[in-house]
Amino acid sequence: MSEQFSIFQSRPSRLHALHPVTKLVLTFCLLAAALLLPGLWTNYLLFALAILPLATLGQVTGPLLRAVWPTVLPFAISVFLIQGIIYPHGTPLFSLGPLTLKREGLLLAISGTGRILMVVSNFILFALITRPDTLMLSLVQRGVPGGLAYIVVASIQLVPRFRARAAAILDAQHARGLETTGSLRRRLSAIVPLVVPLILSSLVDVEERALAIEARAFNHPGPKTSLIEITEAGWERPARWLLLLTVPVSLGLRLWLG
Amino acid sequence: MNSLRKEFNTTTLVLIPVAIAINIAIGHTIYILKLPFYLDSIGTILVGVLAGPWAGALTGLLSNLIWGFTGLNPAYAPFAAVAAVIGMLAGLAAQAGWVSSWWKALITGLVVGVISAAVSAPISAYVFGGVTGSGNDALVAMFRSFGASVLPASFAQGALTDPVDKAISFVLVWLIIMALPMRFRARFPQGQMQT
Repeated sequence: MSEQFSIFQSRPSRLHALHPVTKLVLTFCLLAAALLLPGLWTNYLLFALAILPLATLGQVTGPLLRAVWPTVLPFAISVFLIQGIIYPHGTPLFSLGPLTLKREGLLLAISGTGRILMVVSNFILFALITRPDTLMLSLVQRGVPGGLAYIVVASIQLVPRFRARAAAILDAQHARGLETTGSLRRRLSAIVPLVVPLILSSLVDVEERALAIEARAFNHPGPKTSLIEITEAGWERPARWLLLLTVPVSLGLRLWLG
Repeated sequence: MNSLRKEFNTTTLVLIPVAIAINIAIGHTIYILKLPFYLDSIGTILVGVLAGPWAGALTGLLSNLIWGFTGLNPAYAPFAAVAAVIGMLAGLAAQAGWVSSWWKALITGLVVGVISAAVSAPISAYVFGGVTGSGNDALVAMFRSFGASVLPASFAQGALTDPVDKAISFVLVWLIIMALPMRFRARFPQGQMQT
């Protein structure tokens, strides 16, 4: 198995054993709830009562928190500084020198941070418990075109190779005396000698790969066999429909309670 | 339908994952260099110009979804629609012949940048409370302190940074296409339009 650009963690858990489409539906419903449900603290509650128990079930709480923290913190700081303090016309809560914390800005910052926390942790949980190739295979079995599955799986496998190549080009240009630190102008002029070689070198093997997959009957219309087998428990299908019912419920609560 | 099949020939299908990887690899490198823009849509624009608007839109959409769903940068996933619009506009602009010289590419990039700022402002304002978590937040703070509300402040921030970003991207794509051998370009549906 080649190295994959994915944070997937293999665990012998019941969450991991779910069918990929069930995981996808679960992620979608949680995302809809995070974006639709009204209330100041709703998203923090969702995080505590849905994401954390699911992560515990999947034995990925540690990796989840380690991945969520560095993404959410800069957003949280920005949103508190910008909305909390610079909110134009609000009720002042307290002042520190020229800075005044406004009530409306603080409320906006609390709900904003909650939404970011839910969106980010939801995606990360999905990535931790789902293997990209089994996900795409399960979608192909449900009628998604094989070309689309090829695009997704191939990009996921290409990214680590490309990032290594980008780092190598950066090193090579450094060795030739290219400056990538210092003034903005100097860093700007470093873009072309980095970007153009990376793209040209990666386009070289496009043609070769196109011939290779055509020679392996990629465009053949008939059914194909796969190396991976996906299992699905009998209760998962009705469970997915029940999960999907939460989306109109979220929308209804939003319209009803504002 | 037939033209769509022509747009998604095998060479296009193989180019798209390469373009997605280019988006992510360069976007990440630029982030390391701490430049005030993203350059995360060069691959998307390249596919749009060489293969067509639908292929460009698909590249943009999948780039951001893969970026988010693999857990590397979940904050990018909600902007998938913006990336799709950029890819589609790149394809349409190439069909109209607006990417055929460096200055045309520059102007097209500026225009696409304004449109992408307009599409991304509501997403940024609603999902992320108007902040990006990057250095550009200083701009949002400035507009907010002038009394702008969340949505106009994020649009103003985007309208200042996106056109420059997209103009650089379009000129780079023009440079790359000029450097590609004619024989290679001819394998793509729109490859021979740009000369």
